[in-house]
Amino acid sequence: MAATSSLQNYTLVITGAPYSSQAPQTALLFARAAIAAGHTLDRVFLYGDGVHLASSLSAPPSDETHWANEWARFLKGNSVPGVACIASALRRGLVNESEKKRYELPASNLLEPFIIAGLGEWVEGTMASSRVIYFHAGG
Amino acid sequence: MSTLIVIDQSPYGTWAGREALDMAFSLAAFDQSVSLLFTGAGVNWLRKAQTASEIEQKSVEKNISAAPIFGVKAIYADAKACVQYGLGLDNMLAGVAMAENSTELLHEHTHTAFAG
Repeated sequence: MAATSSLQNYTLVITGAPYSSQAPQTALLFARAAIAAGHTLDRVFLYGDGVHLASSLSAPPSDETHWANEWARFLKGNSVPGVACIASALRRGLVNESEKKRYELPASNLLEPFIIAGLGEWVEGTMASSRVIYFHAGG
Repeated sequence: MSTLIVIDQSPYGTWAGREALDMAFSLAAFDQSVSLLFTGAGVNWLRKAQTASEIEQKSVEKNISAAPIFGVKAIYADAKACVQYGLGLDNMLAGVAMAENSTELLHEHTHTAFAG
């Protein structure tokens, strides 16, 4: 019964880290359900501890879900941009090649298709989408 | 679009409040209407004479005082929370408005974001 006009364009903000909070899983289930119902996702913004979701170096036990890879697959499959906040990322040891060079760090670890950018990406998301949903660690 | 950023955790214990403040500054930098509401233990952000250097952190007072300069429209403190934490106009930072009814304040804004 959902009318076309009720379809939303969402920006999702994830501030909880994987393996210490449920936030990335809940956000992924929400994202899948939203797409399945015909809604669109403008972008996914990782902020605070949420940036850990974009690390290419997490290696959970093989019988556990690899949330970073699951998210990466979802973003690629649905052509949704995934953006990690640069200030949050640099503080927490998440860097791409250019930041690695800039700060002369021994490695980079940003998982594709995530990119690193400023909070302006979140501001744009709040302006471009009809709903902004936050997934916090809680507790 | 007008956004109310809500900070309900005391300063220094977690990074969430600082990152929420950065969100407010970022909206203001993009000329978006944004205000701050401190509620619950979050009102402690507004206490005068914080000595955060003792725990090797920077005091958040400067950040709060800079908010209007950066274009943050208003800073609100939940009145009930202020009473609970022993805060009044004499021991609070200047430029803070008391919010007697936070529910109304939420309704006045189109967007709300909580510190994580």
